[in-house]
Amino acid sequence: MTVETEGYHRMKTKKKSNFGAYAFLIPAAVIYLSVIVVPVFYSLFISLFKWNGVSEKEFVGLKNYTTLFTADPTFAIALKNNLIWIVLTICVTMTVALGFAVILNKQFRGRTVFRAFFYFPCVIAPIAVAIIWRWIYNPNIGFINQFFKLIGVDFKQTWISDPKYSLYAIFIAALWQGIGQPMILFLAGLQSVSVDVLEAATIDGAGPVRKFFKVTVPLMKESFVMVIATLIVAAMKVYDVVQGLTGGGPNNSTQMLATYMYSQTFQYNNVGMGTAVACVMVVMMLVVIVPYISFTAKEK
Amino acid sequence: MKLKKVIASALAGTMLLGGASSVSAATELTFWTLNTRQEAVEPIVEAFNEANEDIKITASFYDTDGIKDACKVAASSDSLPDMWFNWGGSLGQFYVDNGKTYDLTEYAKSNGWEDTFSAGALNLCTLGGQLSGYPTSYNVLGVYYNKTIFDECGIEVPATFEEFEAACAVLKENGYVPMAAAGLNGWHVMRWVELLVEHFAGADLHDNMNSFDESWDNEAVVQALAKYKEWVDAGYFPDGFLTADPNDTIMSFGSGECAMDIQGQWYDGMILQNELDITNYGVFSFPSAEASSRMSAFAEMTQFNKNLTEEELDAAVKFTDYYYSSENVAEYGEYYNLPLPKEGEKAPEDQINVDGMIETSNTNGTFTITDQAFPTEVADVLFNAQDAIANGQMTPEEGAANIQAAIEAYQAK
Repeated sequence: MTVETEGYHRMKTKKKSNFGAYAFLIPAAVIYLSVIVVPVFYSLFISLFKWNGVSEKEFVGLKNYTTLFTADPTFAIALKNNLIWIVLTICVTMTVALGFAVILNKQFRGRTVFRAFFYFPCVIAPIAVAIIWRWIYNPNIGFINQFFKLIGVDFKQTWISDPKYSLYAIFIAALWQGIGQPMILFLAGLQSVSVDVLEAATIDGAGPVRKFFKVTVPLMKESFVMVIATLIVAAMKVYDVVQGLTGGGPNNSTQMLATYMYSQTFQYNNVGMGTAVACVMVVMMLVVIVPYISFTAKEK
Repeated sequence: MKLKKVIASALAGTMLLGGASSVSAATELTFWTLNTRQEAVEPIVEAFNEANEDIKITASFYDTDGIKDACKVAASSDSLPDMWFNWGGSLGQFYVDNGKTYDLTEYAKSNGWEDTFSAGALNLCTLGGQLSGYPTSYNVLGVYYNKTIFDECGIEVPATFEEFEAACAVLKENGYVPMAAAGLNGWHVMRWVELLVEHFAGADLHDNMNSFDESWDNEAVVQALAKYKEWVDAGYFPDGFLTADPNDTIMSFGSGECAMDIQGQWYDGMILQNELDITNYGVFSFPSAEASSRMSAFAEMTQFNKNLTEEELDAAVKFTDYYYSSENVAEYGEYYNLPLPKEGEKAPEDQINVDGMIETSNTNGTFTITDQAFPTEVADVLFNAQDAIANGQMTPEEGAANIQAAIEAYQAK
């Protein structure tokens, strides 16, 4: 065999193996295209129409978007609530999850039981969580008000019916359920931190707090990327727990982009407007997540 | 080669058998209905399928708000079931306007439905000039009250609006919540608010407002919303009622926490289902300013898919006739809204308030319940106004103006 024919043979083999790899990707690509990509672009297309979901579509260009941003007070409330929810999720959910992960990463008796205990709410359906918490918040027979009564504190609150507190009351219910997932991711991150590095830091004189912020946290960067990205996505599309607890009320005070999208699309038959809300949600998620992930990837 | 022939012959045989079986297959029909009726519908469907080998019904169940959404989604993707439960008014009208329902007008004429069903029910199921469904119930709403609590507080059934308010004040003084209310989804609180609108507006203006021929931004609506706010502030509704689930009012009413609830005649069935003493509960029509004290009313029906063939339509009607037959009504009475909307029908003996409610509605007259008179997006503005007024975020004047603005926005669409 000459050198030329050997080279040709290698090229042929390489091409063949590439084709095989692509062939294996086809099923996943077909599913991804049909279930994700096509619906996303179709939604974008629909958002340019006035359509009740059944009748003929009427092209209106960007009117649905201009209406949302200039003449729809409910959309403004939903947008504001989603932004508050994102901030709360990042500040509270992540901090609490990290705190639990750090505690549950230590060696103590019953550690596995506690891990399962704190992860457990995560496996409950969000609508069931909403029902549980609706009873907890019940002003007359709910756990919280009854607890205050039991300890002799004269304090009664209507919780989710009071627009000043309703959003935060729902957030607490979501926090109870949502803490398990980031806690597990942080636990995995903590366990990947090398003991040698921590020991070296101790020998160099670093205290526990300094060790945590200067050694452990930087070494868990990938866990943080994953947790923050998933929490932002979850915060943008929060729906079930809100729908189950308040349905977006009272007076739209807990309206979210996802609940408003649902109302516009399926209750008011404004499918164009509803998909415009959905597109805004997607853009918002991309605006926050893409720069964050690319920034952290560059640092790496 | 021989093996190939054998396999080919076997496959061909299977295809032929499959084809033959599909020729003789039963007429398969899907039916979506409310999960509150599941315990009756499941055995009824099973019995029907057993008795009719040529028809196979498959039922699916949804909650009150779930079925509204599921049908909308199905209509968008042209995958509505063959039969589905629906209400009259704007909720049923959507499917008529978009050509999704079978127009039963001719079928009804050929099969003498005018002699079978009550004229009122057929009228409420006629939408956009089409008989858009098989009438399954005609519902009127009254004020259910706890007789023991009324006796204990020395209260007579109120005959005037002033007496009603006086009764609420006495109940409150005695430690009871006068009226059960649950604002999640808005429609239960709306039942009280629409009675106040009827009281202050009177029958003619209320009807004209419901048909959008008169503005909602008027003094009567402002007065009604102001009175509602007054009742909220007086503690006549339970704490935190704005986000309470309307399916749970039976708990506060049945436990004696609330003395009154605004419900339709199906509530007799619910009282029985919950093993409460039905003789402890009575009903009266809300006493409005007009002598007639009209009651809120709405119809329910089974709508049929426009694409049904004649054979499928016959099967669908056969099943619906069986579902609403006297034998099934006798066995599962508490899962129906009785009496059936048929000529000469009476409620079962144990549902003691029903016949009286129907008689009162015939005497006093009725008005269309607001969430069937309104399209959903306008109804939601009313619901938001209820919440905002109760929480002090909106004045009654702003509430009335917002409702009218939503009507105008809807009409301009």
